[in-house]
Amino acid sequence: MSEGQGTTPLSPGRRAWRRFRQHRIAVASAWFLLCVIGFAVVYPPLARYGPNELSAAQFAPPSAAHWLGTDVHGRDLLVRLCHGARISLLVGVAGAGVCLVMGVVWGAVAGYWGGRVDSVMMRAVDVLYCVPSIILAIVLMAVLEPVFRRWLDAWHCTKTPALARLGVLFLALGAVSWLTMARVVRGQVLSLRSRAFVDASRVLGASPVWILRRHIVPNVLGVVIVYLTLALPGIVLAESFLSFLGIGVQMPLASWGSLLAEGTEQINPIRIYWWLLVYPGGLLVATLLALNFLGDGLRDAWDIRRDS
Amino acid sequence: MSIAGRATAKRRWGRFLLDLRAHRTARRAWGGAAGMVLVLLLNGCFRAEPPADVVIVNGNEPESLDPQIVTGVSEMRITKALFDGLIRLDPTNAAPMPGLAERWEVSADGKIYTFHLRTNAVWSTGDPITSADVEWSWFRALDPATASDYAGQLFGIRNAENWYNGEVTNRAAVGFRAVDAHTFQVELNVPLAFFLELCAFPTLAVLPRRTIEAHGDRWLHARPLPTSGAFTLEAWRVNDKVRLRRNPRYWDVAHTASEIVDVLPVSSPNTALNLYATGAADIVWDKDLVPAELMDALVGRPDFHNFTYLGTYFYRFNVTEPPLNDARVRRAFALATDKTRLIGKLTRGIGRPASHFVPDGVAHYSSPPGLGYDPEAARAALAAAGFPGGSGFPRLTYTFFAASGGANLHGKIAVELQQMWREVLGVEIELRQIERKVFYASQSKLDYQISTSSWIGDYNDANTFLDLFRGASGNNRTGWKNARYDALVAAANAETDPTRRAGLFRQAETILIAEEVPIVPVYFYLGYNYYDDRKIGGLWPNILDEHPIQFIFKRRSPHPPSASGRPEKRVGRAATRS
Repeated sequence: MSEGQGTTPLSPGRRAWRRFRQHRIAVASAWFLLCVIGFAVVYPPLARYGPNELSAAQFAPPSAAHWLGTDVHGRDLLVRLCHGARISLLVGVAGAGVCLVMGVVWGAVAGYWGGRVDSVMMRAVDVLYCVPSIILAIVLMAVLEPVFRRWLDAWHCTKTPALARLGVLFLALGAVSWLTMARVVRGQVLSLRSRAFVDASRVLGASPVWILRRHIVPNVLGVVIVYLTLALPGIVLAESFLSFLGIGVQMPLASWGSLLAEGTEQINPIRIYWWLLVYPGGLLVATLLALNFLGDGLRDAWDIRRDS
Repeated sequence: MSIAGRATAKRRWGRFLLDLRAHRTARRAWGGAAGMVLVLLLNGCFRAEPPADVVIVNGNEPESLDPQIVTGVSEMRITKALFDGLIRLDPTNAAPMPGLAERWEVSADGKIYTFHLRTNAVWSTGDPITSADVEWSWFRALDPATASDYAGQLFGIRNAENWYNGEVTNRAAVGFRAVDAHTFQVELNVPLAFFLELCAFPTLAVLPRRTIEAHGDRWLHARPLPTSGAFTLEAWRVNDKVRLRRNPRYWDVAHTASEIVDVLPVSSPNTALNLYATGAADIVWDKDLVPAELMDALVGRPDFHNFTYLGTYFYRFNVTEPPLNDARVRRAFALATDKTRLIGKLTRGIGRPASHFVPDGVAHYSSPPGLGYDPEAARAALAAAGFPGGSGFPRLTYTFFAASGGANLHGKIAVELQQMWREVLGVEIELRQIERKVFYASQSKLDYQISTSSWIGDYNDANTFLDLFRGASGNNRTGWKNARYDALVAAANAETDPTRRAGLFRQAETILIAEEVPIVPVYFYLGYNYYDDRKIGGLWPNILDEHPIQFIFKRRSPHPPSASGRPEKRVGRAATRS
């Protein structure tokens, strides 16, 4: 494959974008995700029903009035799915943000400093790796939630409980998913810091912070973006798992996990309200798959070796 | 990949395998790995344990199996199989029948009971059970260090309450004693109509003194665990099962119908139904294990046994904190609760909305009318308390428990209640779902504002419900104390005339449900157990949902259903019993 046949060579970002566009499944996944996010944002305000609006039409099958049917309380499933998507994806993105900041800073510092600092920091990562992450997340949530509540109460927040739970979810899930990110970044930084341009910069008297900011971080960006897209589905899944167990978002708030939990309650040999299971489950699976394909496409796009 | 490439790959793979085979260490490793896989597979196929004769789905995981600690019905069903009291309950009609006491006499004034213990009653380890064991066990129940929530069950006995409170320190002053090895005498404060039924209650069971003294709080882990009941505790694996095995030394072992009984902790109604439908469980018996949404489809089935049941679903207020320390606020919440709508939606209309606390069907009693659904009056009551239209009302939490997921009945009721209170009163309630053990702990500590509750009658008398909310009751859990209420309940229990007694109870209940309202009844449980009469025997419907495990058995040859299409139910006294 030959790239940059034109007069000016393309920047790494543009080259990656070109290669990404050739990855059909990844592009389709990106479109799918955009549609899901767009629909989740746009539809609920236009809908006839609120997400927590109870009605007498319980267990109504999908129809013109309720496109995806209703649940036990007569709430519209489509609106709840949209709100669930907001929560689940928000938790995913925010968790990934925490993971990004923690992981990049930790990995970059450890990799750049090297020596004893590196050993200590990476052993800390190893130790945390040994702890089952979901259990750690649950413990973190239990510890942090009262603290969060107190803060929000001090601010006279009117929606303390829901916000506290969400904030704690962000933090806890981010806090358990930055480990791999830190390792990946450290590896990259280790190889980058022995490159000639870094040496040149150091000889010219640049401070470590400046070198980290100008040379190292921009160069690990590709890897970070790729890894982030791959970490996102993991966090979404973890949130769904916690909500499925009933320790994620608090009722009556919906997330995909809690909607799925309500769906599985309907599996029985007598009468199955299939829409409560099929739609949340299908949407969750499709979104996770799309996120993984997207991550795959991005990885291929940023892979420098594919050029040669 | 081209064909040539594929061929190369194949060759490489073949070479790799050859290399592996040649390499001795690798070979050993392969052998070890294969062996381990085999072990794992076989482990899945063959379990070392024999199958149980009867498998029962029993509700939540037991918090404890110490009869003097447990408060839940599901735990008590197990402890009753392990530890007998002086009296047992008849499996057909839940009436008292001889247990460890073979016979008894009651004095003319109804205050002194003399029990004669069986001489052939022994612990499962072979030691005899004597009246000294009974005395020691009852003192243990009354020891504040035991922290039994049900210590109050003994307070009808002379000086028992004073002993519990430390006001009496002379053991001899307490109204029960071992006269000799097999005679046990009890003296009551006032005649209690239900005292024999109380003697069958787990708190009054006979416990192994030596084991408890040797092992302290961990005595249930002692092996062998001496039991006084029809079964021994073979295994208790958390979230897996409790396995009971026939106690061969039980005095009534002739009537123990099954060798091994497994009791499964399952708290999801759908899991229970699926286990039952696939044949993995024989009996499902818990009020929380009936899938409410399927009520209409299940109710007509022949294996779905319906019975009148003494149980009330209600919610508690913590009355120690504002704004719920104001009875007007509590009344407003009660008046804003549309129980008929709740039942119509959540149990498909099958259920009895409750406006009073003591269920219909309790012997010699009928309840006064309580608060119904009245949105206008609810708003007026809230406005009178200083929150017109809910403005300025603080954010309260409604606490409920759930084993997993958010879809159990408590959660659904919570969602509906939240909506009703928002619509009618304009107040915003936050829902808080916590794990069951944490839930009961925080309820006892009054670490809640409004919380889901239920109460199942321990014996067929209004006192089992109304005694609950006396200020001194360990199961009160609302912080509510009312001297007038306490006096009325005490007076009713001292009264021997059933009509006057009922009148006093009615006055007390009026305070509870219409005036002070520390609790709001929501609905009365309908009793449902499901099991197939053609396969399972030894259960009879009765008002206390009392089904001693001892008598339950699996029929060897299923007999065909009767002509009506409905398997015949055996009513009346069991042929299998003495």
